[in-house]
Amino acid sequence: MASQVSADLVWEIVRSNNSFLVKRKASGGVQFSRDSLNLTNKNSRKWAGFVNDKAIGVAPADKEGVKVLSKKTSASNKPTSSISETVYSGGKSARKTYVAVANQAAKSNYRADLREAAVARASAIRHSYKTPKPSPEPKLRGPKAKKAAE
Amino acid sequence: MASRPTVTIISKDGTPSGATHPIPTVFSSPIRPDIVQQVHTGMAKNKRQPYAVSEKAGHQTSAESWGTGRAVARIPRVSGGGTHRAGQAAFGNMCRSGRMFAPTKIWRKWHIKINQSQKRFATASALAASAVAPLLLARGHQISTVPEVPLVIDSAVFEGGAAAKTANAFAILSAVGASVDIIKAKKSKKLRAGKGKMRGRRHRQRRGPLVIYDPEVDGTELVKGTRNLPGVETCSVYALNLLQLAPGGHLGRFIVWTSAAFKALDSIYGTTTTPSELKKDFLLPSNVVAQADLSRLINSSEIQSVLRAPKGTSLTKRSGIQKNPLRNKQVMLRFNPYHSTFVKKELGQQKSEAGKPPKTPEDFLSVLKED
Repeated sequence: MASQVSADLVWEIVRSNNSFLVKRKASGGVQFSRDSLNLTNKNSRKWAGFVNDKAIGVAPADKEGVKVLSKKTSASNKPTSSISETVYSGGKSARKTYVAVANQAAKSNYRADLREAAVARASAIRHSYKTPKPSPEPKLRGPKAKKAAE
Repeated sequence: MASRPTVTIISKDGTPSGATHPIPTVFSSPIRPDIVQQVHTGMAKNKRQPYAVSEKAGHQTSAESWGTGRAVARIPRVSGGGTHRAGQAAFGNMCRSGRMFAPTKIWRKWHIKINQSQKRFATASALAASAVAPLLLARGHQISTVPEVPLVIDSAVFEGGAAAKTANAFAILSAVGASVDIIKAKKSKKLRAGKGKMRGRRHRQRRGPLVIYDPEVDGTELVKGTRNLPGVETCSVYALNLLQLAPGGHLGRFIVWTSAAFKALDSIYGTTTTPSELKKDFLLPSNVVAQADLSRLINSSEIQSVLRAPKGTSLTKRSGIQKNPLRNKQVMLRFNPYHSTFVKKELGQQKSEAGKPPKTPEDFLSVLKED
């Protein structure tokens, strides 16, 4: 059974007030979302995963992997079984991971509009596992440099 | 609706009992947050007790104004002498020990009358919203472990006071996946900010699941069994309360139904065409819009058949955009056919053949600067 109530109606009810919404007065009143099925963390109709019948979420997984969550339309009122999880381990090459994520988002008529954002998020997660390059020692300038040269 | 959707009835261990029940019509009533909020604000005011400051406060002195000519303000001043109080200003709301501005009165309009049909509409609306998983999530309920929304437990589970003890009641609720929400409510208990602490509202905490039962079938033992579970509330299906169904006026309370209560909804609310058995002159409100799914509407054959075909292809060449000839070579060549030769011969990079211009002769400058 698909959801009895349309996602458009649900969005109109929850858009201004929901448990995932983070409102801040900074930067002209930004509005973000804590929803795990939100690829850009923005509070908007397109990205609101908990509202939409079909939605993709990308999250970090164990062993430097990437976890893709997607909603099953057939089980929209069955919370335990409504979200399927796929883990792409960190051992898989970047390109293969992104292809898999892109296919999961866009293939079989799912949500082609989320493909780019899903891949971008997967990429950002993979990038976050890298240890940052140590910044070089700052070069001494002026009198300090002269003193060090002596 | 071609076929009425059904709800699985869940047994004691959280698995489907095999029995199902068609979802009562009240769950397809219109979801109207505006009506629910308005009715909620009214209903929330109906438990208030009148308060007011003392009628005499700030007026228990025989102050009189000194009038003009004494180089002080004309506010009433306490008469007499011998104490510091004498000569001090009195009565005014700006005065120390004066009366407050517009002293509160017990005859304020404390309670709000709400039309019965509005209250019924709001209740039906809140019930409909409680069967929508996204609205439960938006209210902040933890429902990821719940097998189905709406969550209906077999009444046999509660038979013979099986939920009379808190431990048993909690075991039943955790078997059906409602314990996560209870634990969230339990952990959320915080000391209230402000003066409410000393006015009987010391703590604030989240609301957990609302257990709705049928007292005739399930008995009332489960009320005692659940009353010490933080956040959990119970309610008879015959006396539903909007303050519990939509706390704070926010739709989507997580409701745990007993199967008897769920079945009773049919007779309590009736349908949009058959009147309710228990409420006089009540028909469920019907939806103004039959199909609220916009993409479904847009993609329907009725609408698609009357739309004009899109002009051009998916990659339409847009005229009117001017490209920068300094960056785009083809555009530059269209403007300036000589450009290719100019670039090829590197004319832009060559130094002028004449060399530097000759220096101004000294005697010319001396003539020029002569006074």
